[in-house]
Amino acid sequence: MSGSSSTRALRMAYVVAAVAGVLFFVISVGLLGVWPTQVLREQTSRMAPEVPLRPSVSESRGRLVYAREGCSYCHSQQVRFTEADARRFGAPTLAWETQFDTPHMLGTRRIGPDLSRTGGTRSLDWQYAHLYAPRDLVRESVMPAYPWLFDGAPDRPTQEARDLVAYLDSLGRAREVAGPEGEARAREGCDCDNDPMMAMAFEGRLNNHPARAIRHGDAPTLPIDTEALPRGQALYARHCATCHGPEGQGNGPGARGLRPAPKNLSQHEYSSARLASALWNGVTGAAMPAWRDLSTNDLGALAQAVQALSVTRVEPAPSEALLAQGREVYAANCAQCHGPDGRGNGTAADALPMVPANFTQQQLSLSEAVRVLREGIPGSPMAPWTSRLTSADILATAHYVRSLYAPALPGHLRK
Amino acid sequence: MAAFQLQSPDFGAGTPSLGWGRIRYAHTQGIMLGWLANAFFAFLYHAVPILTGRPVTSERLGAWLCALWNFGVMVPGWVLVLAGVSQPLEWAEFPLIVDVMVALVLAGMAVQFLPGFFRRGVESMYISSWYIIGGLVFTLLSYPMGNLVPEVVSGAAGAAFSGLWIHDAVGLFVTPLALSTMYFIIPASTGRPIFSHFLSMLGFWLLFFLYPLNGTHHYVFSVIPMSAQLTAIITSALLGVSVVLVVTNLLLSLRGAGWLPRDPALRFVSTGIVFYLIVSLQGSVQAQMSLNQRVHFTDWVVAHSHLAMLGFASFAAAGGLIHAWQRMPEARYHAGALSWAYWLMTIGLVLMVADLTIAGLVQGQLWLDGAPWIDSVAASRKYWAARTHIGGLVSGGFVLLLAGLTTGPRGGGLIVRPEGGDTAAHTRTHLAPSLAGDHA
Repeated sequence: MSGSSSTRALRMAYVVAAVAGVLFFVISVGLLGVWPTQVLREQTSRMAPEVPLRPSVSESRGRLVYAREGCSYCHSQQVRFTEADARRFGAPTLAWETQFDTPHMLGTRRIGPDLSRTGGTRSLDWQYAHLYAPRDLVRESVMPAYPWLFDGAPDRPTQEARDLVAYLDSLGRAREVAGPEGEARAREGCDCDNDPMMAMAFEGRLNNHPARAIRHGDAPTLPIDTEALPRGQALYARHCATCHGPEGQGNGPGARGLRPAPKNLSQHEYSSARLASALWNGVTGAAMPAWRDLSTNDLGALAQAVQALSVTRVEPAPSEALLAQGREVYAANCAQCHGPDGRGNGTAADALPMVPANFTQQQLSLSEAVRVLREGIPGSPMAPWTSRLTSADILATAHYVRSLYAPALPGHLRK
Repeated sequence: MAAFQLQSPDFGAGTPSLGWGRIRYAHTQGIMLGWLANAFFAFLYHAVPILTGRPVTSERLGAWLCALWNFGVMVPGWVLVLAGVSQPLEWAEFPLIVDVMVALVLAGMAVQFLPGFFRRGVESMYISSWYIIGGLVFTLLSYPMGNLVPEVVSGAAGAAFSGLWIHDAVGLFVTPLALSTMYFIIPASTGRPIFSHFLSMLGFWLLFFLYPLNGTHHYVFSVIPMSAQLTAIITSALLGVSVVLVVTNLLLSLRGAGWLPRDPALRFVSTGIVFYLIVSLQGSVQAQMSLNQRVHFTDWVVAHSHLAMLGFASFAAAGGLIHAWQRMPEARYHAGALSWAYWLMTIGLVLMVADLTIAGLVQGQLWLDGAPWIDSVAASRKYWAARTHIGGLVSGGFVLLLAGLTTGPRGGGLIVRPEGGDTAAHTRTHLAPSLAGDHA
């Protein structure tokens, strides 16, 4: 009798537990699935720009390629609400930024860096060259190569590669395009005063990527320590030789896909200030990234290594007449972009995708100056001038721009 | 009846290979669905008739399910992800069309295995039965969370559902089946009942209550609401406590069997229990924010998942297969190979977890220091190279496991009871629950 009643009690207990078990599952889905979805949806409607930027057709197709190749296994797409993440990548990812991502690719592992703010960080031809052969640009990379997205060369991408790069370049753009008004609206929609974590999304720079080029940025003064040259050369071999070549001749394996081509450093002499700016801010419009993740000590060492690569010869001084001829040609043809004093600040400069060369901070070898005037710089606004200028004009102009070099600090350590 | 012809030996190493991303898709699904699911299903064919006292629903259904699982799920799944048809969702990489097939087969498995339990009545049900029922039913419920919902719900909200599934795949599918195997083999092999049926039931319900609430801990510090994250973090800690309970019960049930039982099935199981304890406590700790901030996104987590899937689950699955093999007169069995398999897998796993954990700490430190990204890649190189070699050890272990179950004399591992009775009946007497006694 008691046995059967205890059996019944047991059975009841199991039924209760079974119902509770299912209930708990339902609760988990509700609490960790449905409810967050509601919260995020409301948050999105409060914080998203009124007319959010939608992905283009090409970007959407590129997203499929990204998904298919498993990119999200190594590249997360969420800047977390942590200081380290914000410092390295920029503002933490808000829900509305992912509102068109179906399915999401937040990711749980980073072998490569987070990509949620990569748009506008690398030049498109850098992206192509890197997809085609990653180690041609980043020597120590372990990223797989995707040559099947190209017709045999990094500058011959298939439609899939174009879509993929379009997608990569769109990551993080929605929030950048939303601009200060968008940020203001998002901040209004955020209960930031009571939610210090959410407030992190509005502190600091939106994009903090250390490689992102800044067109007109301040640069720190780099320490000059002559002992540091070997370290600088090691850094150069590790980070720079892939594009600029081991001897600085602009002929590294990564160079073949890049327009404009990496500078031939052996034919240029750069002032320390110019190198500090190029290393700290990168070069907009070219594949040259910024290197803000290196310490200023390392950058100083690197700058010395770059200066040591320069093999410009001492040229015979040009005659006054030749310089005067060059000045005349320069004023008529070059000053619009390069500025009346050669500082790269001509009236047309701001309209160009690249900042024109500042001749007071860099000096080309005579032969390189003549070559650039004759051939132009493919991929940049610098055109070939052989159809407009005579050979004599070109030689005179080359001499003239060389004469403008006036580095504030002694630029050449080998001297 | 064993259906593990497609078990995946691809415990692949991180050496960059062509199409690494796609291989990785195949890897996770291969381990979970190809190896673990096949092995567990195979063991169910041994365990369920003993537990229920009657045959499974239909032998023909079984043949169909086996064929469907391997040729309707695994083969097309692998072919499709390698061909580029997939979803970029962790532990849910097979495309939707294959997902539908998975759900169908899982439903079929429920039909195949579950009716016997209910016909028998729940009051006399052994703990393994509970886990089998729970595992099959709740997997059916949770599978769509990770595989379907993120295709519909976008962005961070979709990630919340992904988090649910990432954890439920482990907690509601792999863990229950692994634990049911362990609870089955220990008394069947030692000839002694488990330590406490009451504790086993308590652990069972705690697991099923707490596991699903862990999901969001995969996205700590994300934009997913903090209260959801905190819930997951707190339940992660509680889960650790309940696992201690379960493991205590299992280890006490093993008392007298020694640290290294002679029976290879029991040896796999007892080692798996230790891994289970370690991996669960590790999980509880790494969900806590201070540590998570450091190790999330690193190889620490990869070590954790290998400890779970390879250490805990695979050891239980291997134990289950060996145990069943020992009771089939027609099955080939090679004791030497199995012993070697055990050692290779154990040593390989311990080394791999140690290697990746250290790598994770190094990566996390470099990231916190703000070092250039490529420094963390360069610093990982030697750990990844080590992992490749260790992966060879583990794969060798799996090959030997396969060899141990396919070579050697037929019936080589046959357990002949001194009383000469029917082994199934013998096993059953040791599993018979004495719940009344526990409650007293």
